[in-house]
Amino acid sequence: MGLDRRGFVKFVVGGVAGTLFTPVIWKGMDDAAKWSQNWGWIPRLPKGERKAVPALSKLCKSGCAVKVQTVGGAPFAALGNPDNPMSKGGVCPICAGSVQLMYSPARVAGPLKKVGEGKYSPIKWEEAEAMLVEKLTPLKGQDGKIAAISGDETGTANEVLSALLAGLGNASGYCAMPGEMLTATRGVKLMGGAGQPGFDIEGADFVLMIGADALDSWGASVANQKAFAASHPTGEAATARFVYAGPALNNTSGVCDQFVAVPPTATGVFALALANALISVGATCSAPDFADYKALAAKCTPEVFEKATGLKAEVLKDLAGKIKAAKAPLVIPGASFGQGSGALDFVAGASLNVLLGRVGQKGGMTLLPAAPKALSAAADRAEAKDAGSFMAQVATGKAAPAALIVYEANPAYALPQAGDMTKALGNIAFKVAFATYMDETASLADLVLPAPHPYERFDDAMNPYGVAKPTYLAGKPVLAKPVVDAKDPVDVLLAAAGKLGLSLGFETYADVIKAKAKAVGADMDTLTGGAAWTGEPKGGSLSLGAAALAKAPAPKADDKAVALAPLSKLACGTTELACPPADLLTIRDTELKGKDLFVQMNAATAKKLGVAEGNKIKLTGGSGEVKALVHVNEGVAAGTVAMLMGFGHSAWDQYTKGKGDNIFKILTVSDEAGTGMKVWAGSTVTVAKI
Amino acid sequence: MEEKKQCKGCWGALPFVIGFVAAVIAGWVLYPDLIYSKKTQPVNFSHKVHAEQGMVCADCHTFRDDGSYAGIPTNEKCNECHSDVVGTNPAEKVYVDKYGKTGKDVPWLIYQYQPDNVIFSHKAHESLECTSCHPDMAKNDVPPTYYQNKLSGYSKQTMRMWQCERCHAENGVSNACHVCHK
Repeated sequence: MGLDRRGFVKFVVGGVAGTLFTPVIWKGMDDAAKWSQNWGWIPRLPKGERKAVPALSKLCKSGCAVKVQTVGGAPFAALGNPDNPMSKGGVCPICAGSVQLMYSPARVAGPLKKVGEGKYSPIKWEEAEAMLVEKLTPLKGQDGKIAAISGDETGTANEVLSALLAGLGNASGYCAMPGEMLTATRGVKLMGGAGQPGFDIEGADFVLMIGADALDSWGASVANQKAFAASHPTGEAATARFVYAGPALNNTSGVCDQFVAVPPTATGVFALALANALISVGATCSAPDFADYKALAAKCTPEVFEKATGLKAEVLKDLAGKIKAAKAPLVIPGASFGQGSGALDFVAGASLNVLLGRVGQKGGMTLLPAAPKALSAAADRAEAKDAGSFMAQVATGKAAPAALIVYEANPAYALPQAGDMTKALGNIAFKVAFATYMDETASLADLVLPAPHPYERFDDAMNPYGVAKPTYLAGKPVLAKPVVDAKDPVDVLLAAAGKLGLSLGFETYADVIKAKAKAVGADMDTLTGGAAWTGEPKGGSLSLGAAALAKAPAPKADDKAVALAPLSKLACGTTELACPPADLLTIRDTELKGKDLFVQMNAATAKKLGVAEGNKIKLTGGSGEVKALVHVNEGVAAGTVAMLMGFGHSAWDQYTKGKGDNIFKILTVSDEAGTGMKVWAGSTVTVAKI
Repeated sequence: MEEKKQCKGCWGALPFVIGFVAAVIAGWVLYPDLIYSKKTQPVNFSHKVHAEQGMVCADCHTFRDDGSYAGIPTNEKCNECHSDVVGTNPAEKVYVDKYGKTGKDVPWLIYQYQPDNVIFSHKAHESLECTSCHPDMAKNDVPPTYYQNKLSGYSKQTMRMWQCERCHAENGVSNACHVCHK
């Protein structure tokens, strides 16, 4: 009996039928379903013990005390540290995404040597460190030949940088990126005082922020937000009133009890006009220059105020009445983007605290004593040169360093007139960038040395700007080994110093921080366990700064130009860090559309400029221009164009590169009358429809 | 004539029956061997030897302070007794030389490995005997062969959802999705 065609078909049908009574199909489908969920691109955490490790994230300017969540030793999230007074469980939008940033594709994976325009070759650490020493050796002892720019406002690494430069005979080359700290410290000096000012927001019952974006990007913003939240309990009456007087409706003014739209070119006038209104309702003080101050303030009449700000004088009267009625009013002066304002703008705002008798009082303005140093050869932080001024000198040939050390800073992107600054960097023969990420400056450097992420290193933060009391934080690595081939920049600099025949007394940054903690009177283990050390502010009085204010120029009217108000949103990054990928979704459709950034202006300004919603425009200022779209927003001050910072990166990663434009290109640097400081907070631009 | 036709019909079903039986045999006997790869543990660990020393499961498989289950003990735990070779079993020497002294974690094959979307709490099941769900490892002298599904990647021995559901149902515990899937 043979197997014919019909028999074969029957055999196959029987086989198929039999298969239905086996696990082949059913098990195969089940396994296939499970297989389909095994997507290789899903990050997988190791199985293991879950821990919350205290750490200090310095990705934001002030530093966030966090608890890094780990499983099996691998970090996967960062939450605020409830045990730390600076955090109280809160975390800023940058540090909230800090763990993702540790794995960022923009990280510098290992030492890089420039081999051509925009081309880099990976090298070993030994070669990189030898190259650094080799380049610095012939410049030793030649003042002005070595410079350093630090983007770290609070770390003791600055002492090492400063002491290193001093030891190499280049003490004058120590520069810091612009920020409120330098401006305010110089302002305090103009008021006859000394030290970094602090602001006791927690103890105040009326907080007037003139420009200072204190609830988002200014100062110790998380602590500020916690103070605001405590005074505004849900479902209960607020115990303090917060007023924001600034150029545009931002995250700070969005939650404040009152918003007063003041153009960035008129903050000084606003403060003095308010002083005038306060004096007219009886405010007085015992400062020796009160009479001069009163006379100066009297010049800021309601008419002058209205002309400069575009606001009605009733606003002043209302504010003066509220401030007079408050028991603990506090005025916080600053720039809407945390830099670029002059010392005189600070004096104008801070003088209100003196006028109201609020200096050294609970809920008032304080003065912090100079922090003890770990390295005696280091300069005081306030003695650092402003990097903007220094690079302007490099651009004009007044300064000619042959080597530049860039520490955690991005001057190629974040200095005013950025185009000029980038060109000026080209005048320096050897640039070494200690960078965690491949930013614009690292992309121009001759040697790029990868710095560890905050969770891979020791670091500290002394007196973040704005704190009312001396405050010290320190953190130690969460990971035993960095995820890339990084070395602590301070360790590298200390080793280089040794090879250059200079002993700074330490071998590692951890040792430096231990010495700093000891000098401060804090316990290192307690600090790295997540606690903060706090001291007491020093006493002392301030003058009203009338002599300095008398030199302030009267605001100029320019019908062709409008004021440019840079807006800072921490979620969009800082001057040192591009927008973290985790925060990209917080960018509104009215802020960025595709690759085009919006600038905002009110309807009257738009009409004056002849533009309308959605128009593409060109803004020209400083030595550059940017292109943007128009968004009409009544939350912007009169005669002002507001533009977000943090965009227009030419480096970083796929998430941020090439999106929007960089406002630093159109900020105009000018000299502040009377102080000689470089300022750019009151920049103006011309607008043309394209 | 009629008889012949009936007889032909009977023989005519034979290919179908042969195909059916062959498929059933292949599906139940050959298929399981085809879809699993066999693996052995990196260390020939004997639970029996340890049980005979008077040890119980919880001596090595502990709960952490937060209540989460530590699962497989770490080298640190094993090294409490085996920082050096103390017996004559060659498996112990393998552990000590290859893992204990080098600090490299033993890449144990986890029979009960579950996907990330399954949240199983040992703490919630603490009142049950270990052997309610796991084999009685105290009698096990040689680690069972690890059968890994070539397609899904999971172990043959891992607990299936229906097993969880049945036990929950039998004990009046909710079988709602969120009980195990967060």
